[in-house]
This record gives sequence, structure tokens and C-alpha cells, in this order.
Amino acid sequence: MVPMKYLFVIFSIILLIYMFWPGPGKIFDFPALPNSAKSNLEGDTIQIPNVSAYFSNNYRDFAVWFYSQHYQENTFFFLPPLRLNHPPEYSWIAIKRHTDSTYLEELIYPLRDSLYINGLELFNPDKTPKFWGVIPFEVDGKLWDTKVTLRFYPSSFWARFLVWTGISVSILFLYRLGRKILL
Amino acid sequence: MKELCLKINSLLFWPILFLFVFIPIYPKFPLLNVSGTFVAVRLEDIFIAIVIAAWFISIILSGKIKEFLESKINQVIILFLGIGLLSLFSAIFLTHTSSLHLGLLHWLRRLEFILLLPVIASVVKTKKQLYIILLTLSLVLLIVNIYAFGQQHLDWPVVSTTNSEFAKGLILRLTPDARVNATFAGHYDFAAFLAMAFCLMVPLFFAVKKRFKLWILGLGVVSSVVLVMTSARVSFVAAIFGIITALLLTGKKKFLLLLFIILLVILIYPSNLRNRLVSTVTVNLLKQWDSYQGKTDDQKKRAKLNIPTLAIKTSSTSAQTSTFASGSALPTDITPGEPVDTTELGVYRSFSIRLNIEWPRAILAFIKNPFLGTGYSSLGIATDNDLLRSLGEVGILGTAAFALVLIAVSKRIWRIYKESVGFIRYFSAGVLSLILAFLFNSLFIDVFEASKVASLFWMVLGLTLATKNFR
Repeated sequence: MVPMKYLFVIFSIILLIYMFWPGPGKIFDFPALPNSAKSNLEGDTIQIPNVSAYFSNNYRDFAVWFYSQHYQENTFFFLPPLRLNHPPEYSWIAIKRHTDSTYLEELIYPLRDSLYINGLELFNPDKTPKFWGVIPFEVDGKLWDTKVTLRFYPSSFWARFLVWTGISVSILFLYRLGRKILL
Repeated sequence: MKELCLKINSLLFWPILFLFVFIPIYPKFPLLNVSGTFVAVRLEDIFIAIVIAAWFISIILSGKIKEFLESKINQVIILFLGIGLLSLFSAIFLTHTSSLHLGLLHWLRRLEFILLLPVIASVVKTKKQLYIILLTLSLVLLIVNIYAFGQQHLDWPVVSTTNSEFAKGLILRLTPDARVNATFAGHYDFAAFLAMAFCLMVPLFFAVKKRFKLWILGLGVVSSVVLVMTSARVSFVAAIFGIITALLLTGKKKFLLLLFIILLVILIYPSNLRNRLVSTVTVNLLKQWDSYQGKTDDQKKRAKLNIPTLAIKTSSTSAQTSTFASGSALPTDITPGEPVDTTELGVYRSFSIRLNIEWPRAILAFIKNPFLGTGYSSLGIATDNDLLRSLGEVGILGTAAFALVLIAVSKRIWRIYKESVGFIRYFSAGVLSLILAFLFNSLFIDVFEASKVASLFWMVLGLTLATKNFR
């Protein structure tokens, strides 16, 4: 039987490698959606860090799949990011205030960083309007059905290092105290 | 100096006795508001902080800090608080799910509640002090029960924190269908307090002299009526569960029959509690209710949407579609698909909020950071399930540390129960059943974060641990 301390050391090393594995550092590491127009509206450019938005005719399934692929490629990792589905109203917190939303998903590598994908789809894929009185987005004379807003939440080296140290130390203390209390 | 500190330590008994009175009795008036939340700093927080600070200084100056740190229970409490801080750091700098001031506020609340355990365990030193505290608690129980009757029948003021507006300290009155909360935040924590009281009263009834038996019996009857008035299903079941455990631990199995007869009477006698319990079965378990269908074609169309109030293309004017049930006996905010019966509607919403919003939010937070969660305050005010809340806020590490605190304390109390006789044995049996009832309650209510009951929980546990050192 492998002693617990070896399992702990192996776990800590794997966690360390995972947490410090290179990956995207800013929103510009993610490409624009295909056949899209980048939004230059206030709040979509420099006012809020790591935000960008695209008008296009790409719907949810494609947009989330597209960024999941690129996130995985940017991270050079063999597993895709986890995909979390959030309530659309959370977009005010995750993206920025007054962000209209019909879906909000998060792609995440836990303990590293995450990418929120907020979609505003006014039309169904068959071009029928979803809501009363909607009109397509008009950007430079072109009409688009959807707007996708991205916000990337990176984390610093030091934050990861301290969290990794904290997790390792906590596990160690939990194990020792757990043995004392439970046995 | 050392003697002076020990003197201060023993004098702390009186402030602690004061806390046993003040925490349950003083209404939830805010003292200092904190931006971004309607959780406020209250007078009781200041008093608790003063007591904890005085106690901490006294154990440092008296050289007892080493003894304090050697205790397994104190070590695991420190670990739990340390992991809470680490989780907060991770929430601010890694997952970006919590702000510093809100996260710190909620961490300090945990610190405040849980530190009452070692404080009381080290300050209470004699059986006489235990008796004084228990007698005082019984008077407090009587006072809050009388106050609850006053709210229901004499229009006495209500101070509640069940929503952001109420939490400003507004003086309210109970509406005909509202549920009593006495001096607590809402009916839910008041009922949890009553459930705790039952767990202590039942075993102590068998341990005291005849005149005190009558006192406990009277308190039990009054508390039963008030518990029914709160209509709190979970705490009612928790109280029954706690009483059964207490009877089994004290070897009074024949009283189980009496309990079932009382239970039957409560369930037969018409009350809002009975209706809510029945609705729990019909609505939550059997999924049977008469649905509101909407009055117009538009409303029927909306009934098929996930969010029936969304603006969709309709043929009628907005004024007709904005209100679903105006002019009828139905609640004005009822939406198609919901039960038309008011009690069933309340039960339906109570469970739907947990199942569709609060619990999934906590599960998402846990997935996001399984080790440390997304930090204190990241799940908002309530999750209505303390296990999920803990996993979501402080992850598997924080939850494991918290579980270890409970296990360590429970094991110590179990040992006290096994090794003691007479009054202390009955008291520790009551506290063991209280822990189980509290844990049961925590599956549907955030009792470990409800300030009044959480503080009292750790205080009673500390009181039990103190019996080990009685002179």
C-alpha cells in the first residue's frame, strides 16, 4: 500500500503543474467570432478590463463551442474547460451592469481562470423574433441577429501560488487533525 | 497579573449570562449598515465582540494560550477559520466571485458565532452557573413565547429581516396570514430556536425536581402552541426528531407513545402548519395541484415559457397582460402553472426557490472551485441548505474542517453523556439531540448563519463542554 504522504506529494505536484500550466492571459488571446463585427460600444472595449463583444449571426451552440475549442487550444490542455450554465440575470455581475442577456455560460478551468460568454439572441435561428418588437442590430449598415459579449477572468501567478500553498497546507492539517479526532 | 486575568475570566460569566438573554430577546434592529448587503452590524455583535476580546486578552495574559491551542477542538476551529480566509483570498484573486468587504463581513460572522464555544467552555466553571444559565434561558423562552402571542393577538411590533426593506429595522405588524417571528429575524429561525428548546426541555424534565417539572411542562405547552403558530414545517419535524432522540438517549421510550398522541392531536387540529405539511406531500412529493391557467390567451401562451412574465408578442394591450390575477382572491403575482390554493402556492414557491435557484447556484459554485468554493458572500444571503452552502462557499476543505469541528464537539459531549450521571447526563443527552435536530434543520434552512440561533447553538455546546471542568 502506498503511504499517504507519497499520495499527498504526488497530488500536490500534479495540482502545482495544473495550476501553473500556461494559458491565455488576456481577452485578446481569444479570436473574434467568425463573420462578425467587433463592438466599439462603450463598455465593450477598454472601460472594463478583459471584455470584448461581437455582433454576428452565430447562435449559442456555435459560439460556446467555438470559444471552448480556442480556450482548450490556448491552454494546451488535454481536457476541455468545464461548461457552466448561469442564469442570464447574473450577466450584470459577471460581465458588467446593464448587460442584456438571453444566455450566460462560463467556461472554466477550476483554480486557474474562466471565460464568460454572454449571448443576446433577439431572434430564433429560423429568424423569427423571440420577443415583441425586436429589430436586428445594425452596425455600419450591416444587420446582425446576435451579440456575444466575452469577459475573461485571469488570475495572477502569486494568487495561484498562494492558493496552491494554502490548499496543500490545509490538506496536511486536515489529515493530521482528522486522524486525531476520528481515530 | 495572572491572578487578575483569572479574576477577569471568572467575572466574564456575567456578560455571558447577559448574552444568553440579549441575543434571543433584542429585536433585529440594525446598528451599522454595510454596503452591498442587507446584513447589518447589530448591537449584539458589538457585545459579543467585547466579550470575545476580553476573554482573549485574559487567556493571553494569564498564560493559558498554550492550553487553549493544545485543545483539538480549538485547533480544528482555527483550521476552519483559516481555510475560510484562504477561500476568501481565492474568491477575490482567483475566481473573482467575492468582494473584500462582504467576504470579510461574512467570515467575521462565522468567527463571532463559533468563538462563543471556547469562550463559554472556559468561563463557566460550576454547576451553579450552569443552573443559572438554564433557568435564565427558560425565562427567555417564556418571554419570546409571550411576545409571539402578543404579535399574533395584540398587534405587538414585528422587526424582521426577511427582505431588504424590512431589514432596515422597520416596525411592522403581522398581517392576518403572516407567521409569528417574536424577536427573531423571521418565523424560520424562531421555530429553529423553539426546536432547540424542546431538545433541552424534554430530557431536563426528567432530571429536575417536581416544582421545576411543572415549570418545564408549562413552557413545553406554550412553546408547542407557538411552534404551531410559526407554521415552520422543517423546524417542527426537527423538533420531533430531536425529542425522539432525547427520549431514546434518556431511556424514556414509553414516552414516545405520548409524543405520538400529542403529534396526532397537532396534526388533526386545523392549523396553517397542518395545511402546509399536507401540501408538502401533495405539491412537493406527489406534484398534484390545481394550476392557474391564466385569464387570456396571452397568459395561456406565457404559461408555456420558462419566465411567464417575459415580453412576448401578444395580441392584447400590455395593461391586460401585466397583471395575471388582479380582481380575484388569488395573489396578484401568481403566474400560469402555479397552484391556485394560497397554502399550496406558498409551499410550491418555497421548494421551487430552493430547487431551481438556491441549490443549483451552490452546486455551480462548488464545481467552479471544488477545494475552496467561491468564498463567503458569493452565494448571496441564503442557500437554504447549509451543506450545499458550505460546499459552495468554502469547498470540500472548508466543509471538511467544519464537519471535523462538529464531530470533535459531538464526540466530547458523547463522552460527557456516557461518563456522567444525573442532571449533567440528561443535559448532555438533550444537547446531543439538539445537535441532530439542528443538523436536520440545516438541510433546508441556513441555521448556521442565522445569527441568533447560530450564536445560541455554539453557546449551548460550549456550556456542555464546560461541564467537563466543573469544580
